[in-house]
Amino acid sequence: MSAANLSANRQSGKRKKLFRRFEPYLLLLPALLIVVAFFAYPLGSSLRLAFMHYVLFEPQNIKFSGLDNFKSLLSDSVMPKVLLNSALWIVSVVSLQFVLGFALAVALNKPFRGKGAYQAVVFLPWAVSAFLIGMIFKWMFSQRNGLINELLMNLGIIHKPVAFLALSGTSIIPVIIAMIWYGVPFFGIMILAALQSVPHEMYEAADIDGAGRVRQLFQITIPYIKPTIVLTLLLRVIWVFNSADLIYIMTGGGPANSSDNLPSYMFNKIGYSTDFGQASALGVFMLVVLTLYTIFFLRITKFREAGDL
Amino acid sequence: MANFLRARFPGWIRFAVLLLFLAAALLPFYWLFVTSLKDRQEIYGDVLTLWPANLTWNNYIETFRTSDFLGYFKNSLIVSLSSGLLVLIVSIFGGYALARYRFRGKGVILLIFLTTQMVPVMILLVPLFIVFGKLALLNTLGALIITYTALNIPFCLITMSGFFQQTPVALEEAAMIDGCSRLSTVARITLPIMLPGLVATFVFAFMGAWNDLFFGVMFTTSEHVKTVPVGLNGFVQKFDVNWGEMSAGGMVSLIPVAILFALIQRYIVSGLSQGAVKG
Repeated sequence: MSAANLSANRQSGKRKKLFRRFEPYLLLLPALLIVVAFFAYPLGSSLRLAFMHYVLFEPQNIKFSGLDNFKSLLSDSVMPKVLLNSALWIVSVVSLQFVLGFALAVALNKPFRGKGAYQAVVFLPWAVSAFLIGMIFKWMFSQRNGLINELLMNLGIIHKPVAFLALSGTSIIPVIIAMIWYGVPFFGIMILAALQSVPHEMYEAADIDGAGRVRQLFQITIPYIKPTIVLTLLLRVIWVFNSADLIYIMTGGGPANSSDNLPSYMFNKIGYSTDFGQASALGVFMLVVLTLYTIFFLRITKFREAGDL
Repeated sequence: MANFLRARFPGWIRFAVLLLFLAAALLPFYWLFVTSLKDRQEIYGDVLTLWPANLTWNNYIETFRTSDFLGYFKNSLIVSLSSGLLVLIVSIFGGYALARYRFRGKGVILLIFLTTQMVPVMILLVPLFIVFGKLALLNTLGALIITYTALNIPFCLITMSGFFQQTPVALEEAAMIDGCSRLSTVARITLPIMLPGLVATFVFAFMGAWNDLFFGVMFTTSEHVKTVPVGLNGFVQKFDVNWGEMSAGGMVSLIPVAILFALIQRYIVSGLSQGAVKG
């Protein structure tokens, strides 16, 4: 083998090594490009918009306006109601979804005939669009010929049909019920998956060692599925906080904002007033709330113990 | 030894619980179906019937006649399939990189992806509207495909990297010693093992695109680019809800989702339980 050939070989070896160093970056490049261009960049410009006067139908009048958007949010008389609704929305939806999802998962945590078909039906709501779910529940809760009103009247709870969705005192309740119904399968799937990952031998070993049922629950089942539950709850609260489709479809946030939560109020601002600046300020406010929540959540659950991601 | 404290119910309670969940899950769909089969008089009549007295398929015929339902359907399929596939491919590459390499900046990249999960997506609505306006992509399916892809990549990529971590490296090493290239090793050995995970990831991205309403409402205005939820929503707003036709349209839009879901739900639970072991 000639000297020239040898050096060429060595060079290509070097090139290969260099290439290997860049390999992970190349593999991640498509994902990063898309996320930066269509997620990070818009997020950044939203932060900028929050400090601007930007109304879609006043294209000549776009300018920086400092904290004006935030000031008008603070003096917005609707905001207290919207914040209260957001809190009610998150607490009632997530807690009931969790409890019901847990019960479903426990009931499914043992093979039976037709389990596959059963799961396909019960988990189906998870796959259906919020639009359709919203429409069905709107129709069921309708004052005129609504199934729920009929049911309540037959049970003697009410004497004449109630316009649940059109009264400011009750408008958010049907939406919360629809949302709970919509999310139970998700929790069911996640918790079931976690329960099935608990090895049987652990219970058998505990039996042999004479550990009682209560101890098994607290020392085997719960510790074992805790990471999944913690992560699921964390993500779910964020998801529910950000969710507005059912509200938009069933009540449009009305009457008089009585069923608006933060994101649906924001969407209404974008759609009706086209005040993009103020809507973005509201978005930034939501982002701050979520960031604080996440930090707080990770602190109190000592997330590191829950498993490293 | 089944019992509740081991996260199991005794037999008859378990049966009752399962039955109750089944009824609760089915009731709204039943009501949708029944409404779609009633004629106008019966829907708005004085007596509420639990099964149509005059069963009719007219609502279905009318829905297809008065709205471009098939067009919406085609658009939804195009958007969801493209974005689902894009997310899947990009997540396989990226997930592999995160799971199998050590490199500088890995922590930062992971952090970026995780952070996106707490951003209220509503905040992206306006800036993306402006961006797509500049790119002349408003009112095209492209804008929706790009948006749904960007929104779903972070979660799917992290999940995918979890699936790779659970597939033993030893298998890949053995194949590579036998002379397989890295690419064909992954394609022939690793990915087939991860099939449930791949299906779960694809379905997650597909559903995300299939079910979105807000970005669709914001980015599309012409009938020929509307997806199913956006199209039906416009239909509802334009002509004060006609519950019969609305229900018929809803039933039809359920069919592909239900079939897809029945076929793959097994994969989803096993896919997630693989993922659940490690975040």
